[in-house]
Amino acid sequence: MSCEQYDWKAYALGELAGSERREAEAHSATCEGCRGELAHVRLTIETLAVLREEEVPRRIAFVSDKVFEPRWWQTFLRPSFAAACVIAAAILAHGFMMRPAAVDNAEIQAAVNKAVAEVQQRNEDAVNRVDKKVMSFYNVATGIKYQ
Amino acid sequence: MIFREVEDRDLIAKARKGNVESYNLLVSRWEKRVFNYLLRLVSNREDAMDVSQEVFLKAYQSLPKLDDPERFGAWLFRIAHNEAFSLLRRRKPEGEMPVERGTVGRQLLPIELSLAVETALKRLSEDQREAVLLKVYQGFKFEEMAEILSCPVSTVKSRLYTALDLLKATLCEVHHEL
Repeated sequence: MSCEQYDWKAYALGELAGSERREAEAHSATCEGCRGELAHVRLTIETLAVLREEEVPRRIAFVSDKVFEPRWWQTFLRPSFAAACVIAAAILAHGFMMRPAAVDNAEIQAAVNKAVAEVQQRNEDAVNRVDKKVMSFYNVATGIKYQ
Repeated sequence: MIFREVEDRDLIAKARKGNVESYNLLVSRWEKRVFNYLLRLVSNREDAMDVSQEVFLKAYQSLPKLDDPERFGAWLFRIAHNEAFSLLRRRKPEGEMPVERGTVGRQLLPIELSLAVETALKRLSEDQREAVLLKVYQGFKFEEMAEILSCPVSTVKSRLYTALDLLKATLCEVHHEL
């Protein structure tokens, strides 16, 4: 028989405060009944401890659950989504601002014709100048007036 | 450089703001304890898994109601307790498990001792078994158990001490038969 004033279950379960604990320990050193009771309680708790914790069979899944998915408007508040929106807007603005003017084929053709005409005119002038010089040399060399 | 593990209260604060990753980390810290508590209480792995899932879902939804993040553990087990007993109430009463006795004169194998413990636990009432689970296996203090079970500390001690007396009678008998 153990002494009623000592709570050996609380002692074995670590629920006694420092002074109570020391008092109980001092008592058990002199009381065979209480030592026996404490030994039985400890044996019971140690035997219970043979039951090992089991691993959880599968991870508790929350990320995939609907309730944890962000609401549609929360998607727009995500930093990554906001950054993507800014980049996309910048690309679009750049595209509109730097777009080349509309091409007018008639204008191009007129410019080409004008350039060709100028070149042809320059060539004809050059040929005429050469012809005049040649005729001038011929006239001087032969004394024949060639026209 | 000193690495400090993120405290539960920090994870709770982030989870309250909708950070699911923080809550997932919180789940990974507590799921094994909750699952084992439920497993011993409802005695069925699938039920324990389903109830665990339900517990963590309800805990997430109720996080804004958690007054003191320091007491997250007791609060979480309170939810687990409610869910487990909700399941137990829905179940039909089962027949009492027969007690398996050790064979006289030989050393019990660890698996046999485990079975003896499981059987002894199943012979307890649900209230008594839960008190043992919370104290011996989960290490909660009497005050925390009272919070989880919504009852006075005196009731907690009464259930636990009765359970230990019953277990002592069964398990010490097993040892004496060796």
